[in-house]
Amino acid sequence: MNLLLIIRRAFWLGARDYTAIFTWKTWLTNWFVRVVAQVSFFALIGRMLGDPGQTQFLLVGNAVLLAAMVGMYAVNMVSWERNAGTLPLLAAGPTHPAVVLTARGSYLILDGTLSASGALLVTAHLFGMPLPWPRAAIVIALIAVVAASAYCFGILAGSLLLGFRSIQTIVTNVGLVTLMTLCGVNVPLDFYPEPMRWVASVLPLTNGLVAVRLAVTGQWQAALFPAAWEALVGIGWLTLCLLMVTALVRRGRRHGTLDYAS
Amino acid sequence: MTVVTRDAVTLAPFGVPEPELQYSAGTPAIAAVDLVREYPRKRKDPVRALQGLSLTVAQGEVHGLLGPNGAGKTTLVKILSTILLPTSGQATVCGHDVVRHGRDVRELIGVVMGGDRGLYTRLTGRQNLEFWGALQKVPRKVLRSRTEHLLERLGLAAKADARVETYSRGMKQRLHLARGLIGDARVLFLDEPTMGMDPVAAREFRKLIGELRDEQRTILLATHDMTEAESLCDRVSFVRDGTVVATRSPHAVAGLVSAVQGLELDSADAALAATLAEVPGVTSVTTDGATTRILVRSQDDFPRLLHLLADHGVTSLRTLRPSLEDVYVRLIGDRGLEV
Repeated sequence: MNLLLIIRRAFWLGARDYTAIFTWKTWLTNWFVRVVAQVSFFALIGRMLGDPGQTQFLLVGNAVLLAAMVGMYAVNMVSWERNAGTLPLLAAGPTHPAVVLTARGSYLILDGTLSASGALLVTAHLFGMPLPWPRAAIVIALIAVVAASAYCFGILAGSLLLGFRSIQTIVTNVGLVTLMTLCGVNVPLDFYPEPMRWVASVLPLTNGLVAVRLAVTGQWQAALFPAAWEALVGIGWLTLCLLMVTALVRRGRRHGTLDYAS
Repeated sequence: MTVVTRDAVTLAPFGVPEPELQYSAGTPAIAAVDLVREYPRKRKDPVRALQGLSLTVAQGEVHGLLGPNGAGKTTLVKILSTILLPTSGQATVCGHDVVRHGRDVRELIGVVMGGDRGLYTRLTGRQNLEFWGALQKVPRKVLRSRTEHLLERLGLAAKADARVETYSRGMKQRLHLARGLIGDARVLFLDEPTMGMDPVAAREFRKLIGELRDEQRTILLATHDMTEAESLCDRVSFVRDGTVVATRSPHAVAGLVSAVQGLELDSADAALAATLAEVPGVTSVTTDGATTRILVRSQDDFPRLLHLLADHGVTSLRTLRPSLEDVYVRLIGDRGLEV
């Protein structure tokens, strides 16, 4: 019960932190316009190729990528915790830092789901791709799974990068490009050799994107298996993340790296 | 067996670590025995931040840690607050071992540090307190009323819903203190809490600490500020090179260097002042308005000085007792700007 309260409080605190950066007006006029433009750009490439199938592939891929992209921003959230000097205070508190770190950025799952779903619905309408409401609801649910899975991956990456602040931005971008390249966003998965496909299958986004593509075309039952796999991948990354933060805090206590001196 | 009470002076002889103490009057709030903390370095000998430090703080005591930068004060606070593991030695907080029962320790403590960091600056003061309170597992209803109470008590109620990034340094420090208290901590670690505060804000802050002392909370205060230590602490420990060189109550510290540091007399004329300055053992003679202060190296120098003053017809004089700051300089050594 107490854990739920902590998670809920951490979620709201993170969300309030986010509202200090974006109001709903700036979110719509700055962020959302930007992501719709991004998805439209790739969809236009498909249209220029003259193939409606290509247009849909690129449109869906790049829209769902947004969920993963926002989830990856968790890297910055974890890093901010250290920059603000709050990490050692979390370690000195009775609640495990892993719980707090995982819960505090979970608003990004909501943000990722909203960004990706909104961009998908708007661009699908702009490019004449049918996405009737019941089907759209399933697609949104699947996108939420992708956002959650990518968020867990992002938290893990953020924890790993805690000690390497100088390369954090580079690694985040490399991570995003890797997801974009390997996970079937712009390039079909079967293009890659078997080992790379195996790597892609344990990354967030890959299986969720397969599920979304199936759901978009009305094959929602077929989407269940890849969706479950995506959820499993997310749980795997979450477990690794909790273990990693626990290990990092333990290591920090041993090596004195949980600094707070300004 | 040594029985420790709040007013007792039970301290290690000068330069010798305090021995392990046995208590008959309840468990000490803080007990550290032979704490060693080394920081390994690549291809170099490890740095020893603590070298067998021992310290005992009774329940309800306000205990000051005085020492220069790098003496080991913050390292000790980190170990006691379970942020850092000791290389060897043992430390307990309210009887709980900080290594083996860290979780129990964390339920009991509050950590307040100086400076701007350690707060979520994009959130309001109230949101910060509610968040940290939730992490301290304070029940929701209690948390709400305690947050209001602390905001009111620390003079932050008017700015409770303003973002912390708009707070002054003094307000941030008060919020730090409120954060440390939101879990109703029995033991508070204050690490240079008035660092960078203006004198008025620092005085107000000290007043708050005084109130906490009245509530019988145990406070370990690491500070450079002698006035702060003198006005707040039941006892102070001088820390040098990772070890406690002495512990006394602020009023008893004079005994660590000498009972009397010098003499003060009604203003001496220039000729007498010059003569006094020539007396062996006199370290300084200063005249300030109506009084002349003569400082001596040791008590052995007094007889010669007193004879000379009597010869010059001086019949009225006062003894000067060393201040906490004087003791600090004598014990820790005047290192100038060396770090």
